[in-house]
Amino acid sequence: MPQNEEIKRLLKLVALNDDQTAYKQLFMLMYHRLRQFAYSMLKSNEEAEELVSDVFIRIWDKRVQLLDVESPRLYLYSITKNLAFTRISRQKKQININSDEWLVQLNSIYFDPEQLIITEEILRKIKQAVNQLPPRCKLIFKLIKEDGLKYKEVAELLHLSLKTIEAQMAIALRRIAKCMHFEITSKSLHLASKKS
Amino acid sequence: MNQENFWILLSKKLTNEANLSELKELEDLILENPEWQYAIQNIEDLWKHRPANDDMLAEDAYMLHLQRMKEFNIAFGDTISNDAAPVIGRSKRKIRWYWAAAVLMIVAGGAFMLFDKINQGRKGMGNSLAREVNEITTRPGSKSKIELPDGSIVWLNAGSKLTYNKDYGQTLREVTLSGEGYFDVMKMKEKPFIIHTSNINIKVLGTVFNVKAYPDDKRTETSLIRGSIEVTIKNRPNYKIILSPSEKLVVENDEIIQRENKTGRYELDPPPISAAMSVNKLKYDAADSTLVETEWIKNRLVFRDESFADVAMQMERWYNVDIEIADPYLSEVHLNGTFDDETILQALDALKEFISFHYEQKGNKIIINR
Repeated sequence: MPQNEEIKRLLKLVALNDDQTAYKQLFMLMYHRLRQFAYSMLKSNEEAEELVSDVFIRIWDKRVQLLDVESPRLYLYSITKNLAFTRISRQKKQININSDEWLVQLNSIYFDPEQLIITEEILRKIKQAVNQLPPRCKLIFKLIKEDGLKYKEVAELLHLSLKTIEAQMAIALRRIAKCMHFEITSKSLHLASKKS
Repeated sequence: MNQENFWILLSKKLTNEANLSELKELEDLILENPEWQYAIQNIEDLWKHRPANDDMLAEDAYMLHLQRMKEFNIAFGDTISNDAAPVIGRSKRKIRWYWAAAVLMIVAGGAFMLFDKINQGRKGMGNSLAREVNEITTRPGSKSKIELPDGSIVWLNAGSKLTYNKDYGQTLREVTLSGEGYFDVMKMKEKPFIIHTSNINIKVLGTVFNVKAYPDDKRTETSLIRGSIEVTIKNRPNYKIILSPSEKLVVENDEIIQRENKTGRYELDPPPISAAMSVNKLKYDAADSTLVETEWIKNRLVFRDESFADVAMQMERWYNVDIEIADPYLSEVHLNGTFDDETILQALDALKEFISFHYEQKGNKIIINR
């Protein structure tokens, strides 16, 4: 998970030394996350890729100012969001600022079942449950679970209250847990009926 | 139990957002509701599980990103300069290619001292026009960076020669290459840049690419980094091959092999062409997106799946030695490797770790045997 400290360290190297290696590391570290975040707004892979490049061009251009940024992680997501909005408005498309209709891509539902002690069946259910989360809920879940943002950062990024973030996370988690809750009861029932 | 609160607290615990009193509260709630134990356990496992990022994709994206920056003329250091090379090039690779070897010159920091100074010898062409010719040559074991009159940059690898006429840039920008060169050509729409080699001609408008056309090599290779170039093969002047970025055209020298056209890249009707050729994707190094084909400009000799005979030929030019592989079996062994700081002897010793052979040094000549 890209911790703020690591991002801060790399940004510092870029800002002070024009360090190209650090710049590349930062790119590698953030590329997938920012691309997916950009995709949720732009709904086009190509544009999302280009947008991440734009974000990193901005980072390079403004590298000296980056030293003052308090939360670099939030900063990266914020410029991604801002540049995406600019791009959308330039295309004269409607902007869904309230993130209700964002198209969120998730990685964590593609986990490898071998590493977990749950069955294929549960896995399928979890994937389904996560995929069926309302877009905003899914986005919040992704930013926190996969991208490692703090509640506060997501609240600020999406202009939502902390309470909303808490509630949305609870919804996502309960839906996932329910997949497994059901499984254990049906499994034990199944075993019980076999015995009898 | 307070369902809502239970899930809020559990989420907070998983995301490290919960404070001590919240953690305590959650613990109590779990004790009161043992039926959730199994689900909680699994969610905690699931939470720790991180999907692997596809680094290859990010590497590709980074390459594209650097190209875009260049297109926008954003100064990002000179990615092919000598100063940049150690920064980008070293550290990581050392681990992977611990046996990798190399070039003395960069060590001293006085790289350019050892480079062949550009030999701007002017020879009359013996023709009535007496066109003046600029000729730049590099000895084996040295390299050179040249800026052409229009600002285009050419890196010449060891044992290569680049010539251009005095009237370069007046109507056309024409150069002749024997050996290997990395070209970064200034965009000038009205004045195409043309490179002649013994087997192919390459026409470009503005782009970056590498041409490897040593007369003693079996193949002529053209690798396009970005932009677009048009290649004609000398003995089939009517057929043009257009390369896209990250493609490499390999033309077998001196061979007259009839071959089916598979690529569909010819502008005119697809003929059997009279030189064996193929268009391949460029090989990016998985770890850091460097290109095997252009590593030499960073003073690194890189080879991937090449026969010892081919590698020896490159080492001859690189180290300015003669290498003879006396054993036919050894010539055919395929090798991977990267040399950067090693001397010729260190390089050979490194190779010995992978294939068993003996070598003997007689002056400038090295004889390799089993």
